[in-house]
Amino acid sequence: MNKPIEQSSTSNISPVLTVLKDEWRYWLRSKLAVSVLVIGVLLTLSSVIVTGFSMSALVHEREGMQNTSEQTFMEQPDRHPHRMVHYGHYAFRTPSPLSMLDPGVDAYTGNSIFLEGHRQNSAMFAEQKQSTGLTKLGSLSPAFIVQVLAPLMLILIGYSSITREKESQTLTFLLAQGTSIYTLLCGKALALISVVLLIILPLLITGIFAWLMGENILLVAYFLMSYALYLSIWALIVLLLSTLAAKNSNSFTALSFAWILLCIVMPRIASTSASIAVPAAGKLETDFAVIAELRKLGDGHNANDPAFNQLKQSLLKKYNVDTLEELPINFRGAVAQASEGELSKVLNRFAEQRMQKELAQTQVARTFGWFSPQIAIRTLSMINAGTSIETHHRFLRETERLRLDFVQSLNQTHIEKLSYIDDLNRNNGEEASAKARVSAENWQMIQGFQFSTESANVRLLSSLSTLAQLIFWAGLLVYLLYLASSNLARRASL
Amino acid sequence: MIKHIIREWRFMLTQRYVLVLLCCAFMVSGFSVFTGLSEVNNQRQTIERLKIADQTDRAEAQAKYDDPGSLAYYSYHLTYSYPSNLAFAALGDRDIYPWKHRIKMLALEGQIYESDAQNAELAQAGKIDFAFVISALSPLFLILLFHDLLASERSSGRHDLLLTTARSSFALWGARIIVRLLAIFICLLVPFYIGAVLSDTGLSALISVSLWCLIYFIFWTGLSVYFGKKSSSAPRIASGLIAAWVLFVFIIPILGDLAIKRSVESPKGAEILLTQREAVNDAWDLPAKTTMDAFVVTHPEYAAYTEFEGGFDWKWYYAFQQVGDQTAASLSIAYRDASYRKYELASYVAALSPPMMIQRKMTRLAQSDAIAAFEYEQAIRAFHQSLREFYYPWLFINSDFDKKFLNELPHYEQQHSTSNKVNFDAK
Repeated sequence: MNKPIEQSSTSNISPVLTVLKDEWRYWLRSKLAVSVLVIGVLLTLSSVIVTGFSMSALVHEREGMQNTSEQTFMEQPDRHPHRMVHYGHYAFRTPSPLSMLDPGVDAYTGNSIFLEGHRQNSAMFAEQKQSTGLTKLGSLSPAFIVQVLAPLMLILIGYSSITREKESQTLTFLLAQGTSIYTLLCGKALALISVVLLIILPLLITGIFAWLMGENILLVAYFLMSYALYLSIWALIVLLLSTLAAKNSNSFTALSFAWILLCIVMPRIASTSASIAVPAAGKLETDFAVIAELRKLGDGHNANDPAFNQLKQSLLKKYNVDTLEELPINFRGAVAQASEGELSKVLNRFAEQRMQKELAQTQVARTFGWFSPQIAIRTLSMINAGTSIETHHRFLRETERLRLDFVQSLNQTHIEKLSYIDDLNRNNGEEASAKARVSAENWQMIQGFQFSTESANVRLLSSLSTLAQLIFWAGLLVYLLYLASSNLARRASL
Repeated sequence: MIKHIIREWRFMLTQRYVLVLLCCAFMVSGFSVFTGLSEVNNQRQTIERLKIADQTDRAEAQAKYDDPGSLAYYSYHLTYSYPSNLAFAALGDRDIYPWKHRIKMLALEGQIYESDAQNAELAQAGKIDFAFVISALSPLFLILLFHDLLASERSSGRHDLLLTTARSSFALWGARIIVRLLAIFICLLVPFYIGAVLSDTGLSALISVSLWCLIYFIFWTGLSVYFGKKSSSAPRIASGLIAAWVLFVFIIPILGDLAIKRSVESPKGAEILLTQREAVNDAWDLPAKTTMDAFVVTHPEYAAYTEFEGGFDWKWYYAFQQVGDQTAASLSIAYRDASYRKYELASYVAALSPPMMIQRKMTRLAQSDAIAAFEYEQAIRAFHQSLREFYYPWLFINSDFDKKFLNELPHYEQQHSTSNKVNFDAK
C-alpha cells in the first residue's frame, strides 16, 4: 500500500474496505502472490475433483461387493445349518459422503470384515498396505491440502502485510494521517480472509454434492465453516507475526518456523506421544486372554463337553423328558446357540476394552489441539466427515451385531428344523448326510447390510470440544494482535 | 583454513537466531530418537510376551487332544518379525504392516490378511522418527540457515565491504557454510549416534546413514546457496526454496502415487478371500474324490492314500483347506505382485524426490519398509508350508502317531535377510 488512504468517507466501514482493496491491488501486482493464489486454487480444485471421484468409486465398489456377498450367501445349496455358520458372511464399510473431502482413516483401517461363527475377525485389506509408500508425508485429499498447504500459501501472500509498510516507512505516515491501526489491521485481515474464502470455494462444490448424497446440510455448513475458521486463525497468525517483526525477512522466517512447528512437527509429536503415553496391547495379545476364557466355556461343537451339562439338565427338565433324543428340539443346536451367546459376550468384552484403549490413545493425541490448530481441525474434520476412529469402532460394533444375528438365526434353524437323530448320524454315509441338511430357503434370512456413520447430531456434539480449541486459538490471537498493534501504534506515534 | 573456521564458529555462536534453530533441530532429533527407542523396545517386549503366551497356549491345546487332525486344528503358532537394530531411527511401515501373526494349519489365504494393526488415527497422522526428521525437516532447517547467507549481509550493507576485504571467497563464504553445515549435522546426528550405541547398531549401518545424511544435507545446502545468489531479497529466496521443498516432499510423490495406482492392476483383496471361502465350503458338498484329485496334483506322494471310510476324515478336511489355497493362489500371487510392483515403481518416483529417496534408503537399511513386510509374509507362508509337511504324513500315511513326535513340530525362526528382491514363486 503505497498511497495514502482518502479520508472522504465518514463511515467506519469504508476505510477498512479501502485497505482491503489496496491489499488486493498490491497482490495482483506481485508475481509471487498471483502465482501462489493461482496454484493454491488449482491445487485445492484438483484435489477436490480427484478425491471426489475416487471416493464415489469406492462407494460403488463396496456396495457392489456387499450385494454380491449377500447374493452368494442366499444362493448356497441345502446344507447343514452349521456349515453356513462357518461359510460366513461379509460386511463392507461404505464411505460417508463427506469422506470426499476428508478420507480420514479409511485407507488405514481395513474396509471389509469376514463374519463367521465363534470368532471376531479384524477388518482386512487396508489400502495403505498396497500403496506405493509415497503418500506417507501427505496425500492429495482436500483435507490435507487445506490443513497443511493452505496456511503456507497464506504465509507467502501475507508475510509482508505490516512489515512492508514499516520498511517503506508508510506506516508512520498512515498513522499520522489519522488512519487508526485497527482500521489498517481489520482491512488487512479481511483481505487475507477473502483469500481464505477463495481457497475454501472448491470445497463448497463437494459440500453440495455431499448434501445431495444425503448428508445433513447443517453439518456440511458447520464442516466448511470450521475450515474457514481454521484458515482465519492462520490469517491472524500471519498478521500477528508481521506486526511484531521489524523486517520482511524476519516476519517470513518467523512464519515459516511457526508453520513447520504447528503443521509438520506437532501432529507427529502428538501421535507419537499418544502411543507412548497409552501403550495399547494389540489384538493378538488380548486374544490369548480371550482363548483362556473361552476354554472355560467349552467347545460348542462338542455337545458332550461337560460345560453343557447344566444346559442339558435344564432342557430335560423344561420339556419333562429323560433323554436328549426325546427332546422336541435339537440339543446340538441348543448347545451351539448357548455357547455362541456366551462366547460373544467374552469377545465383546475384550473388543470393547481394546476400543476404549484406542480411544484413550486418540484422546491424548487430540489434546495437542490446544498446542496446534492443525491438530484441532484435523480431529474436527474427521469426526464430522465420519472418517474418524469412532466411526471405525462403530463399524466394528455394527458388524459384530450383524455377525451374532446371522449366526444365532442359523443356530435357531439348527434347533428347530433339524432333528437330533439325523444330526447325530450326519457322518454315516451319503444318504444320512443328505438328511442332515435344511432347505436353502433358510438362507434368505440374511439382511442387507449398509453401513452408515453416526447421525449428524452425534458427530456435531462430539466435535464441540475440538471446536473449543479452535475458538481458543482465535480468541488468543485476536487478543495478542490487539496488544501488538497497540504497542505498534504507541511506538509509531512517538 | 582452520583459522577461518574457528572465526566463523565464534561468529555463529553470537547469532541468536542460528542458535535457536540449532537448538530446535537438536530437540526434535532427540525426541524422535527417544520415542523411536521406546517404540522399538515396546515391540521387542511384546514379541517376548507373545512367545511365552503362545507356548503355554499350544501346550494346553496339545494336552487336550491326541490325534494329529485335532492337534493341527486346535494349535496356533506364533510368527513375528523383530525390529532391527536400526529400526529405532526408521520405524517405517511397521505401523501399517503387521509384525506379529498367529496361524493354524487351516487354509492360509483365509488367515494371512488378518492384521493386528496399530491405532489407525495415529498411523494416519504419521509418527515422528529420525528418518522423518532427516527427510522432511532437515531441509527446512537448512533452508532457514542458508537462504540469507548472502542476502542478510547485503541488506545490512556489509556485503560489498566483506567482498573487498576478504582474501578469498572461500575464506568468507566457504568457511561460513562449512561451519553451519557442521553445526546442524552435529545437532541432528548426535542423538542418532547415542541411540545407535544404546541399541547396538552395526557400524556399517551407522556409516551408511551418516553418509546419506551428509550427501542429503549438501544437496539442500547447495540448493539454498544457489537460490541465494540469484536474489537479494531473503523472503523471495526462502519462498522459492520452500516451494521446491513442497514440490519434492508432497507434489511429486502424490502425483507419482496417482500415476502408479492407475498403471498397476491388482485384484481386490476381498476377491481372494471370497474365492478361497467358496472353494473350501463347496468341498463339503462335493464328492471327496474331487477334492482329493486336486490335492494329489500338487502332492503326488499321497496318491495312494486318499481313500477313507465314513463321512469325515481329517485328511479330507486338510486336503480341501489345501485346495482352497490352491484355488486362490493365482489371485493371491497377482495381489502380492501388484503390491510389490507398486513399491518398486515408487523407486522411480523417489529418484525425482530426494526426501522420498532418503526415506526409502533408511527404511531399507532398518528393514522396516514394505519389502521387509513382504519378506515377513513370505516367511509366514514358508512356515505354514513346513507345518503341512509335518502333519501330512501323519494324516495320510502313518497311523501310529504318538505325541512324542510333537517335539519335531517346526518352530518359527526369524531369518535375517538383506536381499532387495522378494521371491514370490515360493509356495
